[in-house]
Amino acid sequence: MCVCDRPTKPLVLVVEDEPLLRLFAVDMIEDAGFDTVEAANSTEAVAILESHPDIRIVFTDVDMPHGIDGIRLAACIRDRWPPIKIIITSGKPLPQRVSIPAETVFFPKPFRQDRVIETLRNMAA
Amino acid sequence: MQALAELAVLDTPAEQAFNDLVLIASQACDTPIALVSLLDEDRQWFKARVGLDVCETEIGYSVCQLDIDRAEVLEIVDLSQDERTRTNPLITGERAFRFYAGAPLVLKSGAIVGRLCVIDTVARPDGLSAAQRTLLSALARQVSDHLDLRRMAQSSARMVELQTALIEIGEAIRRSEDSAAMIERSAAIVGRVLEVDRAGIGFVDATVEHVDFEADWTAPGVTSIVGRHRFDDYGAMREDLAQGLPIVIEDVNTDDRTMADPGSMKAVDVAALVNMPVRHLDRTTAIFVVHSSIPRCWTPEELWFLRSTADRLEAGVSRFRAEQQQQILNGEISHRLKNMLAMVQAIASQTLREIPERGPVENFERRLVALSAAHDVLLQKSWADADLRNVAEAVLDTVGFADRVRLDGPPVPLGARAALSFSLVVHELMTNACKYGSLCQEGGHVDLTWSIADDTDLLVSWREKNGPPVVAPTRRGFGSKLVRLGLVGTGGVDLRYEPTGLEADMHASIKHLAMG
Repeated sequence: MCVCDRPTKPLVLVVEDEPLLRLFAVDMIEDAGFDTVEAANSTEAVAILESHPDIRIVFTDVDMPHGIDGIRLAACIRDRWPPIKIIITSGKPLPQRVSIPAETVFFPKPFRQDRVIETLRNMAA
Repeated sequence: MQALAELAVLDTPAEQAFNDLVLIASQACDTPIALVSLLDEDRQWFKARVGLDVCETEIGYSVCQLDIDRAEVLEIVDLSQDERTRTNPLITGERAFRFYAGAPLVLKSGAIVGRLCVIDTVARPDGLSAAQRTLLSALARQVSDHLDLRRMAQSSARMVELQTALIEIGEAIRRSEDSAAMIERSAAIVGRVLEVDRAGIGFVDATVEHVDFEADWTAPGVTSIVGRHRFDDYGAMREDLAQGLPIVIEDVNTDDRTMADPGSMKAVDVAALVNMPVRHLDRTTAIFVVHSSIPRCWTPEELWFLRSTADRLEAGVSRFRAEQQQQILNGEISHRLKNMLAMVQAIASQTLREIPERGPVENFERRLVALSAAHDVLLQKSWADADLRNVAEAVLDTVGFADRVRLDGPPVPLGARAALSFSLVVHELMTNACKYGSLCQEGGHVDLTWSIADDTDLLVSWREKNGPPVVAPTRRGFGSKLVRLGLVGTGGVDLRYEPTGLEADMHASIKHLAMG
């Protein structure tokens, strides 16, 4: 297999600790024409980001056990991988004092799939 | 001695009433000297005097103290001949006192605090006449009464001052945004009126071993005691506090509970203190603490004041903490509920994946999202009343086209139940307008207005304008059924498919709307 055969679909990293919600997000994003990789927490997410330089977008939950939360993960990504776009989703409203990094969009849970997909497509364009 | 301290009269300026009484005594008994002598621990101090140029002498030289416990008139006709006084420097020295008569000063409480005495520099072998003795006793009663009255007037003035401070503390608690501010402001007021160096409230653990101070107030240059402290490190106070007894210490060097090792108190500059416990269900939960860097006595009025302050501040801080706890709990419940809605969405989406017709699946998801948006509005108000406009705006935002809906009406509080059903109604009307009504064509819009009639009835009206011609649907879907459930789920909806656009009027009583 040569380099030119690599898939051309944009790659999205899905970070979500709840397996059912992760499955749902992966299906939604793949149905919309993206490839996905999955992580169950921030530590895994960072490891995957380090080994997959082709990730374009990260779709992450806020509340996750073990390690840092989604907001700090987003800040870390903005710092280490500036070109990556980020979507944050949470069952909690965003804390007022917390500012989310640039090029980051927040969706409260549950979200409208069509709006998330629209945002993904804009980010990948 | 305690009674004398409570009179708060030692070292105060001369007062006419007492001066008059000694003058009368010296005239009546025909002596050059008359004194109101108060017996302190190490001295006798004269509140009033005629014929003498000093205001106090050592207690060892005091003739007044002789037989003071007998509460009778003491008369010594020749001091230079009496066993008890003939070597006294006041008699042998240049003052050369020879004759003495003194009547005891007995307070209402029964305490004897000194004598009204008359003194002559010549011996008077015949002593006072019977009339003079009676008069001296009567004048002594006048002096005693006046000491009591003086104290009462003083304490009622102090009481007014302390009550005013207590009102100030109540206001400070009410206008504080958090518990630390409540404690700091209240303690500062206590510090000012009691002239102490440190004040604060600490919460006590279940076994009354430790006390935690979240905040305190200190005089300039005095260190804070914020943090955790172990009672046993400071003396034997734990048992009394556990039983709800206040610890009142006038001097840590001499008090039984601290004298064994006053070092730990002195390390934090404490010479006198009060620990006032607050009880809940027979358990000490908090103590209000005041510290003085110099020994001092604590009056009954001051202890009353500290008890009242402790109760108020504890109630204020506990209420604040309970509200905070409730908010955390609300947030947690809401978070779980929204995660649960997200799970329902995920399950539905996965279950209905193979269904080719996407419309109903999307409708389901959008209703779920609208419900969740109303829930967010309620959460911001801790599940109390949400405003009708805020709920409408949140739902419009989930549908889109919010810029083509004009909202107008007064503030209307919606209870949790009404907020959720109203959100579903607005969502269905919006969805319908986007598909078939005025929002499906350029230039169309909606007026969503509401008003209150007679303070009791809410009327919400939905008017679609500039849309395509409208025809009544032949079949009632779930959406139109939802709309017909109305604002509180019990109807009160008038739907009219006018040629100019859909019109809906929805009624509900304000009382029903506000119910949870």
